[in-house]
Amino acid sequence: MAYEMIVLTNMLIAILFAQSLNLITGFCGQVSLGHAAFLGIGAYTSAMLTKSGLPLVATFIPAMVIAGTIGLFVGAASLRVRHDFLAITTMGVSFLFTGIIRKQDMLGGEMGIAGIPSPEGGRVGLLLMALCLTILFIIVMIYIKRSWMGYVFDSIAEDEDTASIIGIDVRRFKLFAFILGTAGAGLAGALYAHQVRFIGPDSFGFVESVTVLSMVIVGGIGSIWGVTIAAALLSVMPQFFQVIDDYKLLVYGMLLFLAMRFLPEGLGGLTKTFRKDRGQT
Amino acid sequence: MLAIEILIQGLIQGSIYALIALGLTLVYGLLRILHVAHASLFTLGGYLGVLITNATGSLFLALLLAMIIVGFVGMASYRILYYPILSRPPLIALIASIGIFIASEEVFRIIFGPFSISYISPPLQNQIDVFSGIMLSEARIMVVLLAFILLLGMNWLARQTRLGIATRASVVDPDMAMSSGVNVETIRYSIFFIGSAFAAAAGVMVSLLNNLVEPTMGAVPSYKALAIIVLGGLGSVRGALIASLMLGVIESFGTIYFGNLLDRDSLAFAFLILVLMIRPKGIFTKG
Amino acid sequence: MSARTETQPILEVKDITVTFGGLKAVDRASLSLYDNELLGFIGPNGAGKTTLMRAIIGMITPVSGHIILAGQDISRCRIVERINLGMALAQQIIKPLKDMTLLDNVALAAGGDKLLSPVKAILNRSRQQQQEVANSLLREVGLAHSVHKYPTELPLGYLKRLEVARALARQPKVLLLDEPLAGLSKTEAEGMANLIMSLPRKGRSVILIEHNLAQVRRICKTLYVQHNGCHLAFGETEDVLANRDVQLAYLGKSE
Ligand SMILES: Nc1ncnc2c1ncn2[C@@H]1O[C@H](COP(=O)(O)OP(=O)(O)O)[C@@H](O)[C@H]1O
Ligand SMILES: [Mg+2]
Repeated sequence: MAYEMIVLTNMLIAILFAQSLNLITGFCGQVSLGHAAFLGIGAYTSAMLTKSGLPLVATFIPAMVIAGTIGLFVGAASLRVRHDFLAITTMGVSFLFTGIIRKQDMLGGEMGIAGIPSPEGGRVGLLLMALCLTILFIIVMIYIKRSWMGYVFDSIAEDEDTASIIGIDVRRFKLFAFILGTAGAGLAGALYAHQVRFIGPDSFGFVESVTVLSMVIVGGIGSIWGVTIAAALLSVMPQFFQVIDDYKLLVYGMLLFLAMRFLPEGLGGLTKTFRKDRGQT
Repeated sequence: MLAIEILIQGLIQGSIYALIALGLTLVYGLLRILHVAHASLFTLGGYLGVLITNATGSLFLALLLAMIIVGFVGMASYRILYYPILSRPPLIALIASIGIFIASEEVFRIIFGPFSISYISPPLQNQIDVFSGIMLSEARIMVVLLAFILLLGMNWLARQTRLGIATRASVVDPDMAMSSGVNVETIRYSIFFIGSAFAAAAGVMVSLLNNLVEPTMGAVPSYKALAIIVLGGLGSVRGALIASLMLGVIESFGTIYFGNLLDRDSLAFAFLILVLMIRPKGIFTKG
Repeated sequence: MSARTETQPILEVKDITVTFGGLKAVDRASLSLYDNELLGFIGPNGAGKTTLMRAIIGMITPVSGHIILAGQDISRCRIVERINLGMALAQQIIKPLKDMTLLDNVALAAGGDKLLSPVKAILNRSRQQQQEVANSLLREVGLAHSVHKYPTELPLGYLKRLEVARALARQPKVLLLDEPLAGLSKTEAEGMANLIMSLPRKGRSVILIEHNLAQVRRICKTLYVQHNGCHLAFGETEDVLANRDVQLAYLGKSE
């Protein structure tokens, strides 16, 4: 039972993390290759706080606030660049984050932080918290999608220039997406730190950023259900591949390539095609 | 260390960056794709360099063969990797490319083993006094010379041959290639050949400098070369070359002065972000 | 015409110069637009008309000059600020949002402060009011039959009209129309010209770039002519069209 619980918690954290990026990349159209940095910021914040005696629940808000605040600054900087320049800038953020953490003795430097306390309520407690927070975040996402914010995001994701000609304050909306998305990643990070109980700079590197981006893309950019399913599948996949653990990255890399080659609109795209087909007949 | 020595180290590193970045920026100029898997070809070049030298005893032969073989692998990578998804948004190609790169590191590990491989008798290790007491190994001098010769050669090709002229035109404006009468696919294949061959040369050079190759040797260059071509203004060859040398020198000085704050690789990205904040389209583009 | 001398213009363009590399696309352009006016803006292809409109709305930054809207210098304002001060542009090269129906395209532009404030945007869900506005605007431009269609399903002429409807949804004080009749059939152009003629009123004026001189002549009282980026002529429509320089530069080529 314990094993299933760990897998399930992992899955929920992955879904929350992927949805937080879906907000930025899917809804608002801003590519980020450095999202794992914000998972890391939340994880480090929460871990430091629980190690100093705070209960895990009390660290959610600080983790979100700090991740969101740094997200605001990164977002503000990212406003200056677009498209491929944005992709590379956010990739730089990813490398910069791990580079800075490595040199901070206060944060455990290269060695990371070990001995993160077990959350109150143990594994079951963590699973329940992850479940509630993930569902809550998805509800917020659905709400956003249906509000004027979702409407505005759609236009920005499709064509920023046209959005601004219509009178949309593109910058503000992008910043809002960055704050919300990075705060969400911070929240996922708080859960993650207490799931693995050991974190280090390498837990939040570039490959992790690519992994979460691939969840969003395989899920179908902007599709809430597609991304949920993709995140769930991709996060449990390593468990199924236990036997081929040695070739995990090989399989994962090939999967990314094949998904891009044959499923460029992701799982969400599949349902869209299906709906369109039905609509026409 | 003397400032001039630090400068020279930086220029040597910069020459290697230049060899890698050239192919990347050409591919970007032609296809608007961030070709991360380029670094796999760099690693392959390094392995071929060590293995062929160890087998035949000739570094020169190894370099030549590595460049040719990797050049063809590069052409194949265009056909298999990018050609089918050219019409998709650039992000798709980027993720596909990252996927191939991640997978390739594993392939190297599976084929050549997880540990590093070295030269049996490392060539070009004699120290030469180049400049009033500054000693450099022959290998280091060779890196700079080779980069210089290859880039000059490419410049000649680009200016004197019909293919080169058509390529330059189509990097500026992809539609112009059509009117020049040279087949677009021919241009693309030759860019992948040359770019990959240069990456292989860089791989051989790095293997020589470190006297080892390992499956993950492409990791840092792959992302750093992206930073370089972005600094250079994406698609600009001259920009990429200048940015390569600049980054080499900045890293070299930066590690000495800021080494306790940031490691070498984060330093490069800190510089990149700083520059993009001031010039959002790179240093060498207008506007 | 008397308005021209009596009151302060709603829009003043002063000495605007725009360059692309070495090319001076607009060279010290100056013009004034008064409230309740329909100003025709003509000039041969490549005269820099579109470029001037893009400079007025803030899509490109001129190397020199000033834009003054209702007495306020907006030369340094961002596009979104200018638009929200009461300008709108229907572009020559249409930019519909392809993933939305025509109705949603226009209703979005009618979103008002929900387009400026993320907080207001997240707190509001109903689009009904904006859709009503959009419906009536689409009817006005003659697209009542296609409100639920997607832009990719429609011919260019329809999309030009969508562009105009979307600009109108902003309820602009100053409306810039860049060749709205292009791609329309003769009767459609006539209908659209009638609509444009009815637009100017107190609190709303229009600059109309158009190559369809028959319609321009019919609906515009004043004309501004630009040639090779420079001001060429300005005045009452018939006088301007009779001007020798204008005929040489413009009519001489096209007729
Ligand atoms: N973005 C641009 N970059 C470079 N040149 C441009 C650009 N936009 C317009 N031009 C040039 O500026 C001149 C004026 O163009 P434009 O304003 O579109 O003229 P018009 O609308 O009067 O036909 C033309 O020579 C055109 O080629
Ligand atoms: Mg025009």
